[in-house]
Amino acid sequence: MIQHPAAKNFPKNVDQALKNETLQGTLRQVSGGFVDSRATARANLPEFDSLRDAARYMKNHTLQHLDLYLEEFEQAAKNAGGHVHWAENAKDAQQIVLDICADTNAKIVSKGKSMVAEEIELNKALEENGYEVVETDLGEYIIQLRNETPSHIIAPAVHVNKKQIEQDFRIAHSHLDPDRSFVDSSSLVREARHVLREKYFLADVGITGANMLIAETGQSVIVTNEGNGDLTQSLARVHIVIASLEKVVPTLDDASTVLRLLARSATGQPITAYTTFSSGPRRASDPDGPEEYHVVLIDNGRSKMLGSDFQDVLRCIRCGACMNHCPVYQAVGGHAYGSVYPGPIGAVLTPALSGVEDNKHLPNASTFCGRCEAVCPMRIPLPKMMRHWREREFEQHLTPAAMRYGLRFWAFFAERPKLYHFCTRWANRVMHMSARGKGRFSYLPFASAWTRYRDMPAPEATTFQSQWAKNRK
Amino acid sequence: MSARDRILQNVRHGLGGSAARDVTKSDWIKTTHAPIPAIARRNGSERTTQFLNNFEQMHGTYSKLKSFDELPAMLSQQLRERNIGQSVRMGPEPDFSTLDWSNMDVSVGPGRLVEPATLTRAFCASSETGTLMLLSGAKNPVTLNFLGETHFVALKSSEIEAGFEGMWSRWRASGHTPRTVNLITGPSRTADIEQSLELGAHGALAVHLFLVDDLDTKDAT
Ligand code: SF4
Repeated sequence: MIQHPAAKNFPKNVDQALKNETLQGTLRQVSGGFVDSRATARANLPEFDSLRDAARYMKNHTLQHLDLYLEEFEQAAKNAGGHVHWAENAKDAQQIVLDICADTNAKIVSKGKSMVAEEIELNKALEENGYEVVETDLGEYIIQLRNETPSHIIAPAVHVNKKQIEQDFRIAHSHLDPDRSFVDSSSLVREARHVLREKYFLADVGITGANMLIAETGQSVIVTNEGNGDLTQSLARVHIVIASLEKVVPTLDDASTVLRLLARSATGQPITAYTTFSSGPRRASDPDGPEEYHVVLIDNGRSKMLGSDFQDVLRCIRCGACMNHCPVYQAVGGHAYGSVYPGPIGAVLTPALSGVEDNKHLPNASTFCGRCEAVCPMRIPLPKMMRHWREREFEQHLTPAAMRYGLRFWAFFAERPKLYHFCTRWANRVMHMSARGKGRFSYLPFASAWTRYRDMPAPEATTFQSQWAKNRK
Repeated sequence: MSARDRILQNVRHGLGGSAARDVTKSDWIKTTHAPIPAIARRNGSERTTQFLNNFEQMHGTYSKLKSFDELPAMLSQQLRERNIGQSVRMGPEPDFSTLDWSNMDVSVGPGRLVEPATLTRAFCASSETGTLMLLSGAKNPVTLNFLGETHFVALKSSEIEAGFEGMWSRWRASGHTPRTVNLITGPSRTADIEQSLELGAHGALAVHLFLVDDLDTKDAT
């Protein structure tokens, strides 16, 4: 994966995010909207947890046979008249897409939402080669106008508010009446619909991602609500699907298991408005649809994860539930991570794709509360994997000196239980008294980074161990 | 060695050879691995009711018809109620082309830039989520599903399956190999602006279903 330098600056980014009032306002909506909707959707499907087990089992089996299923998918896609390309890394994937665009004499490329396109920086490559790239997903379109990257994997513009979008539209759509009013969100949606409608017809190439690839049928699947992905792939002369290797599932029935979990975990919907299965170009008698269909299978680090401590993360279906429920994401938003994939999934995936050295802060951006794993539809043990990264960070001496000394200091006491209990007993007492009965501190020396944004809870007068010993008597 | 071969070699290397494989690929296909939820196992009239409830929940609307013969008049009424001109775009679908459309301006072909109303024929549906399955092809051009501001769809009650599994079986059995299989559940929507739900993002602003009730003579179970 192409490295996003901002991942190195995570602590600084966090500081800025916490001070950004607009961002804080929009983030409050994430924790409310997505979290509540998912909880309702889960409650309405009693088999939800058994489906999670089944999905985990299915994806483990698929990964265990990945070479075979990829070959099967390739054959089935070719049988339907499609072309299958293999890209080892981001550069190769860019080049494959550029070559197809050049062969098509393309000028305009329309695009549906795709995280792997972000990962390989496809827009940049296309634009540098003179193509006009039109993002057609509303959220992606908004951030394209703002020259930003997505801050959430399913809601890319979740950090932008209505007022900002209105300003962006007035600048970008300068051909429209400057006195028009945007009374509500729907007027903004209508305007984007109107502006983009024409672009679908003008585009020579339409690029979409894939939520799944089905080995049995050779189909790529997109799961969407807006319908932009369908217009993108149906109206352009050439449809290119870009997908990472692990998107493959064996059969249509396995796809059903994923579909029963995906939308419920992502937005809380039982199903999205559109789920589209595509294979090959338009058929001989079809009056519409693309004349060419290409699938670019992208490795970009995935094959190295097989057989490693991080294989399980390849089960991810990119629902975004882990970030919606993450207290760190809820506090700082997606951009602070400085990586394409934010939140807990990014904390595990980004170091795997582009090295722990430049991304060492990400696995540390966790309170280890475990909510990410608890809500993950694919039961990915995200905290365990973050811990693996922390261990590697420590082994490679990437941990800051202060933290290493701090850990050594703590280890000294932890290895001497009597001394540990004695010191913690006294420290607790002192801290408890210093809180003057309030039970919390609004300021603490050496901990101002914490107390600037929230109170630090004061400990009880006695330690857990003393209470345990006392109550057992 | 090609990129393809190198990638597959790396995958095999990562997996440590085939010894680690638990279930063989062909065994996998023969077995059912996931539970089919109770909501995907309804039968008879209960199934139709569940389908219509779910379809409405996803912001779809519907009218019931006794036969396809009623379709032109019902469509005309819908267009009137929605303040849309008496004009519709459709494909050369046999279930439509035999009907009397003399009171309406009917054009046949794929979707165009401005398309106030389109009509397509669904292949089947699933009551589990109120989802329609449409197959692209000469009879029902795929662009009609997305370019119509109001998308009208026709379906028979006997074509409503209980869940995904039923839709896949019906499709596999049909032998059709369309370029796209489109599952549509209500009109297009977005919540990309401050998480407020807006209908009519890029696809249809409204989806209206004409359900031809043929279950009196045919049992869907
Ligand atoms: S890790 Fe799990 S919860 Fe997070 S995006 Fe992937 S599938 Fe969803």
